[in-house]
Amino acid sequence: MSLRVNGLTKSFGDKIAVNNVSFSMEKPGVFGLIGTNGAGKTTTIRSVLGIMTPDSGSAEWNGKRITRETLSFGYMPEERGIYMKTKVLEQLIYFGMLRGMTKADAKKSALSYLDRLGIMEYKDVPAEKLSKGNQQKVQLISTLIHDPVLIFLDEPFSGLDPVNAVMLSNLIKELVENKRYIVMSSHQMNTVEDYCENILLLHNGRTVLQGNLKEIKKGYGHTNLVISADERVLPIAEKNGLVLLAKQPETYEFKITGDAMAEAFLKDVVAAGIMPTKYVVKEPSLNEIFIEKVGEEQ
Amino acid sequence: MKQIKTVFAFTFRDAVRKKAFIISTAITLIIILILSFLTRLSSSSGDEETEYYGGYTLYYIDESNLIKGGADALAAAMNGSAVIQGSAAQLDEYKEKINTENGVYAVQVTEQNGQPFITVISKDFMSSISYDYITEVLSKTYTANAMREYGLDDKAIALAQTELRYTAEFTGEMNINGYIAGILLTMLIFFAIYYYGYGVAMSIATEKTSRVMETLVVSAKPSRILIGKCLAMGLLGLLQFAGTIAFAALCKEVIIPDNFSLLGAPLSFDAFTPEAILLLLLYFILGYALYAVLNAVCGALVSKIEDLNSALMPVIFLSLISFYLGYITAVSGSEGTLAKVALYLPFSSPFMIPFKLINGGYTASQIAISIALLVVSILVITYICIRVYSASVLHYGKRQKLVDLYKTKL
Repeated sequence: MSLRVNGLTKSFGDKIAVNNVSFSMEKPGVFGLIGTNGAGKTTTIRSVLGIMTPDSGSAEWNGKRITRETLSFGYMPEERGIYMKTKVLEQLIYFGMLRGMTKADAKKSALSYLDRLGIMEYKDVPAEKLSKGNQQKVQLISTLIHDPVLIFLDEPFSGLDPVNAVMLSNLIKELVENKRYIVMSSHQMNTVEDYCENILLLHNGRTVLQGNLKEIKKGYGHTNLVISADERVLPIAEKNGLVLLAKQPETYEFKITGDAMAEAFLKDVVAAGIMPTKYVVKEPSLNEIFIEKVGEEQ
Repeated sequence: MKQIKTVFAFTFRDAVRKKAFIISTAITLIIILILSFLTRLSSSSGDEETEYYGGYTLYYIDESNLIKGGADALAAAMNGSAVIQGSAAQLDEYKEKINTENGVYAVQVTEQNGQPFITVISKDFMSSISYDYITEVLSKTYTANAMREYGLDDKAIALAQTELRYTAEFTGEMNINGYIAGILLTMLIFFAIYYYGYGVAMSIATEKTSRVMETLVVSAKPSRILIGKCLAMGLLGLLQFAGTIAFAALCKEVIIPDNFSLLGAPLSFDAFTPEAILLLLLYFILGYALYAVLNAVCGALVSKIEDLNSALMPVIFLSLISFYLGYITAVSGSEGTLAKVALYLPFSSPFMIPFKLINGGYTASQIAISIALLVVSILVITYICIRVYSASVLHYGKRQKLVDLYKTKL
């Protein structure tokens, strides 16, 4: 099974919302669709799902154009939308039936998810009485109720408290284990780094970065140095040309130009009689890459 | 089809449980019930020959004694009121009392052109005293006096003053029952079409602004959502409409007295033949469908629920103008060009034909052409509306032009 998106372009009047975007997923996992607000992520997802017809390009699942009728997909929109006045179970059954399930199957699946996500007690309660986090769980269930193979999650972690974030995280891992294909859009780069093997970075509708996340980072080489030691390392770092990026109690992160700079700095630190408890030389974070790429574009 | 059924069932269930539906249905039925009981009251009091004027004070001024026994006649006719013989010199004093005290009146009889002339003085036109009744009592007294002078005895005078009972019969199909029923029906249809059309707009606007629409459109085509919603609200309206008529018919059978008459004509629903009822329901359905799809587009155009009323303005104006066009040409019985326009114009025919179905004045071919035009219009407008709806349902922010939405690639 594979998802292939080729040259998607979509305009609204004079504005090109998505410009010649292509990507693919050849195996189950999580694909990261990242970008600033208004970058074109949602339009890309809507065009892929056939909710919007692109001006050009195509989105295919196993070589066939994706439509509501031909593929069982799940989509959790960025803007959460559930019926506030309607009871939780009732609306989940409705969403399930709209996806072609029988009433009995929809009910069974909804109850199962309500149980797994710990909100069974709210099944006969209007959604407006639930907390924001629990409403988000209801939205997630409405996305997964029909057990889709291809799942689009638009900012799935926004608004979740740490406990619920772990719960969602476990669910995503479980979905991947069950061979599901997930396209996840997010602003939270650490989330994308945690889940995504491949990413696509959009800016103003155009692709500015794309590929395997490990390969992308590897291409940047070692650019960051993290050291845990006392503050005597700061003048040594300055002398060696390291630029301070972040400062935490007893831990500093510096920008370096390469491994040679890191080695020279470490020698000077040891020579000064300072014994670091942590010394890491690493690639840039996705967040840094994101800021750099978007900055270049702007 | 299955998705349309699913949207239909969910929307119908949701709308039936809404307080607005329950309250409006209850109020309508209560009004019918009250009106039905009022007919009993008016029927039971219809045989009384004297009116009761409890606690009124009436100053009677007839200094030239133009109507002999006028004061006594009024006292007898106005059971429960005090009739006091007054004088013209104190008229200003009486007027002061009329102005400051409740239930005080004055009747002055003067001579004009050799005949008595009656002036009834009350505080304002809202006073509950009947000028006609007072004039009738005094006129009868005056003519009785005159007849006595001509030598007639009391029996002959009573015979001469007998008011004959009457009933009105018409050779045409229009009668007062049909006329009033037609007006009420036209208003009921307008109200139902407006109310349920608004319900469709509100339902769609709520789903769009609460972003539920984003979840819905990944599952079902916008056209299916639109059709399912319109059908559900339409059935709800139809059931309420039919229920109201059925309840009114039941009240007619059980509560309204058999001898109840409306302006002299016995109450009759003979004009409500099965064919007329079927056509009434058909016009309600078609009229509703036409306006519902327009309302649906308005609901889909807004990004905020508070913008809905302004988005609905064009449809509200269209429906109001069409309603008055249909209503006025129907009740006036006009057959001119305007009436023909109202008869065939799809927007106004649902408000005109129902009146004609009850009161006559139409031909089978006119109805057939009107229905055909209505159906064709619904199909064309629905096609356009589905395109605009599909393009606008996921569009947020600045409202787009309808032409641009129509041209959007779907």
